[in-house]
Amino acid sequence: MTYLKWTLRATVAIVMFLLLHYTLPQHDIVRVVNTYQERQDLNDWTRVFWAKPDDQSAELVNRDVQFIQTVRRKSSLLGFVVHNREEPMVFRNEDTGWSWPPYFKFDTANLQTQADDLRSTPEEPKWAVMTHYGWRNELISVFPNAVAIKPIDGPDARVIPWFNIFFFVFLVIAVLFVRAMWRQFRERSIDPALNEAGEAWDRVDARADEAKGRFGRWIDSWRSKPKR
Amino acid sequence: MGLIRLLVFGFLGLSIAYLAISFYSRSIRKEKLEDRWVEDHPGDGDSPEREAFIHDGMVEYQSGIRPKLILLVYVIPALAALLLLYLINFF
Repeated sequence: MTYLKWTLRATVAIVMFLLLHYTLPQHDIVRVVNTYQERQDLNDWTRVFWAKPDDQSAELVNRDVQFIQTVRRKSSLLGFVVHNREEPMVFRNEDTGWSWPPYFKFDTANLQTQADDLRSTPEEPKWAVMTHYGWRNELISVFPNAVAIKPIDGPDARVIPWFNIFFFVFLVIAVLFVRAMWRQFRERSIDPALNEAGEAWDRVDARADEAKGRFGRWIDSWRSKPKR
Repeated sequence: MGLIRLLVFGFLGLSIAYLAISFYSRSIRKEKLEDRWVEDHPGDGDSPEREAFIHDGMVEYQSGIRPKLILLVYVIPALAALLLLYLINFF
């Protein structure tokens, strides 16, 4: 039972972590190399890793998607540690529209223009902060979605993830609030009802005992009297 | 269509939150009234005066500003979404 409970809890925690890791914005320090547009087939399960920019796109089997090719500074530990090495990273650039995740991004064409404007060479690099969500997976061709790009002076800029800070503060407050609500509900609504049910059960039990007593005495009256 | 879906499901979700918070707020207020009555009248568990005191207190609460403030549950997420929309696309 304990194993089952902890397995369940661990599963919920892992799913929550993955969901937040996919959905929350992350920042990369990048140098734009090129942008391109490519027809994508969307009719298998990896469809979940592409956006639904508008209603007609929900039924399309394939469509053009814009991409931004960059070289980024390698980072680890959720982006908190930035290394001195570089690695290629390709972002897709799609509207999220009104659907999930709730970025309300409609400015794909503008973002593509900004990215094109920031294109640079290794000899004369122009660094920028790319805000994005999602994962990169080479095996199943999954790309993170670029949300915003902002030029910075050099590759050593420090980005403070304000949105995520506010989000987690809000999340903790919300969890504590829901817990307080649940406790109040249990104390004021569930426990009194259970007590009442318990008392009712006790009354039934007592009456049963009494009835059994009477029945038992009647049975006893048929037994032979103890011999003297 | 996407916008309509967002509005409908957003409204449903926020309505659940609104009802839960209203229930919670009323429950807290009622508990406070009960505690105040016990402080002033130790030992009086259920008398008609106590019922009337709690009833009046709840009526006063319902006509106050607090239950209306819970409507912010609808307003704040809508404003947050609009702010996000502005920051992502036009900032």
